[in-house]
Amino acid sequence: MSADPSERRAVISSRWSYVLRRLVLAVPVVVLAASLTFVAVRLGPTDPVGAIIGPTGDPGRYHEVAVQLGIERRVDGRYVAVPLWEQYVEFMTDLFTLQLGQSWVISPETSVYAVIASRAPQTLWLAFWSALVAVGIGVPLGFYAGLHPNTPADYVASVGGIVWRAMPNFWLAIVVVTLLSQSGRLVGIDWAALLVPTDVVTSPSLTHLHRPERLAAAIKGILPAALVLGSASMGNEMRIARTAVLETRTERYVEAARAKGVPRELVVWKHVFRNALVPLVPVVTGEFFLLVGGAVLVETVFAINGIGRLFFEAAVQGDLPLVGSLLFLFALLTIGVNILQDVLYTLIDPRVGYER
Amino acid sequence: MSADDPLLSVRDLRTVFETDGGTVRALDGVDLDVRAGETVAVVGESGSGKSTLVRSITGLVDPPGRIEPSSSVRFRGEELVGRDDRGYEAVRGGHIGTVFQDAAASLNPVYTVGNQIEEALWHHRGLTGAAATEAAADLLGAVSVPDPRRRLRDYPHQFSGGMCQRVAIAVALAARPDLLLCDEPTTGLDAPTQAGILDLLADLQADRDLGVLFVTHDMGVVAEVADRVAVLYAGEVVERAPVEALFADPAHPYTRGLLASIPARNPDADRLPALDGSVPTPTDPPSCCRFAPRCPEAFDACRAVHPESIPVGDDRAAACLLYPADEPRERAVEIHRDGHDGRNGGTGSDDSRESGDGRAGSEDDRRGNGDGESDAEGSP
Repeated sequence: MSADPSERRAVISSRWSYVLRRLVLAVPVVVLAASLTFVAVRLGPTDPVGAIIGPTGDPGRYHEVAVQLGIERRVDGRYVAVPLWEQYVEFMTDLFTLQLGQSWVISPETSVYAVIASRAPQTLWLAFWSALVAVGIGVPLGFYAGLHPNTPADYVASVGGIVWRAMPNFWLAIVVVTLLSQSGRLVGIDWAALLVPTDVVTSPSLTHLHRPERLAAAIKGILPAALVLGSASMGNEMRIARTAVLETRTERYVEAARAKGVPRELVVWKHVFRNALVPLVPVVTGEFFLLVGGAVLVETVFAINGIGRLFFEAAVQGDLPLVGSLLFLFALLTIGVNILQDVLYTLIDPRVGYER
Repeated sequence: MSADDPLLSVRDLRTVFETDGGTVRALDGVDLDVRAGETVAVVGESGSGKSTLVRSITGLVDPPGRIEPSSSVRFRGEELVGRDDRGYEAVRGGHIGTVFQDAAASLNPVYTVGNQIEEALWHHRGLTGAAATEAAADLLGAVSVPDPRRRLRDYPHQFSGGMCQRVAIAVALAARPDLLLCDEPTTGLDAPTQAGILDLLADLQADRDLGVLFVTHDMGVVAEVADRVAVLYAGEVVERAPVEALFADPAHPYTRGLLASIPARNPDADRLPALDGSVPTPTDPPSCCRFAPRCPEAFDACRAVHPESIPVGDDRAAACLLYPADEPRERAVEIHRDGHDGRNGGTGSDDSRESGDGRAGSEDDRRGNGDGESDAEGSP
């Protein structure tokens, strides 16, 4: 291609400046999210001092702990409450300087970083496989159904997708766990012993993944949970992909491509699928939020020691530094995924991000 | 085939759509010829089957639609009807280019126009890389897009409507086709842009000796571009004539109605006479004149006899019970009635039609089949 390099650069820089603009616009959103985290943590029903001391602790330490937490301060020998706005400023300063403090209840005296770092791999592994299951099965099925509308295969895929979508994951999780535990008696194939021995419910071991049998065990261990967690997303993506292909197929440019002699397969791959991806982008990135919410339930049922379960435990037990940090982390991830979505848009659809 | 043979020869083209409400006969026995270097305009209202005609020629009819196997569409003498997608691929774009209405929608928004031109260059001429870019820039230049080399890298949304149509024409011409199908290429464009596109098409046609089939509802455009005209009504060609003759002396009442509704031809009228109603959707085989319910000159027989195409002058024909005009009305009706029977009765007419011996051939054939006594040359 004899493309003029400066022209090329102009196009690329226009896209990058769009991404940069999106990043700058994300800053106030992050501040707002942090403020809401503060509201949720400090104005919630949990008394932080009580949470630290616990039901069996020494009530005499109350003020001492409160001072440590920055809720009260000693003035002339008396304890007075620190104004909320000062607490807010301190909270925000800590958050944005990434001083997340220590866990109180879940594992006392351990830094929040260490707690999250110990749990994060399980959730990342689960999220990766459930996203892969959802996108890898849902989108191809939807594309296939959209290319063959009103055929038996389409009906099976469509109805299956709706049924799959309609099953709530907390219920499906219990059903899957039950079925897999009984699989030896039900169908004569014991899931736990199949291929590589694993437990039906437990955290898969994520060490030594370079060894094939360990990798297989880790994948097999996470698959039931991933299938459940990805179920709703998979059904959604199938339906949207089917509709997108159906709509794109009848676009004039598809007919025009055929009229200029482009072979049918290439028309489908080049002209139909690329355009059908555009409405899929927000759906796929939107599923991320489902993953965060669903991970709490699915990790609990499948006994996976991940971040979702950690958040649930921290919230129930009043481990506020953990709750606050995780809320903030979820907010950052959400904002990050939104930016990723916009970047994907600019890559797929040249009409996005251009200024006239 | 000889040099005088038509590039495109359409005989008894029937395209039907199976719907819940029955079989819609979108094209019901269309005959048409296009020769190199000439422009044949197909004119008709919405629903007359114009767009289906363009799509049927290159086989772009998808289920629930289908082209009846008895139809014949020959390009340079080669039968296209009955081919599968593979068989059509070399013809589409390669021999027959198509320009659609609303060019902005017929360009894929996510690929550069260069990509979309080079796609055709690759499939039909095997050009890639710098050679393809070169050829694509030449094509954009040929359709008068300014600064073609730079604009190759632009996306369709960066072009105006008129420029999009020029790009679409460049795409259609990429593989150097002999025949260009234009489906209302100027509809939706403002008047100066429209004039520019029509001039461009005329220049390209002269340069490349293109045969052009130009489908439109706009009689003004017909007058400007056409050498010969076919008037389409409810899937049937009701009149065919050289353009001057058609405008000077329209034979079919429907054509007269169309011409009467052109403002420029009736400068003194307060209100233009409009044809009441709209084109019917034909679902049954023709048993009457489909225009009869809207026809100011209809008589009883029009609702009982399907009119055959009858020569009404030099190189022209009309499908109307008023013709042949030199016969008494009863006799004329009989000619049409017999013609109808004769067409259903024998296969001989199909064979002679497929010989494709020029534009008047089919009318003569039918005439000969239906009524041996009347003399085709003797009609007024």
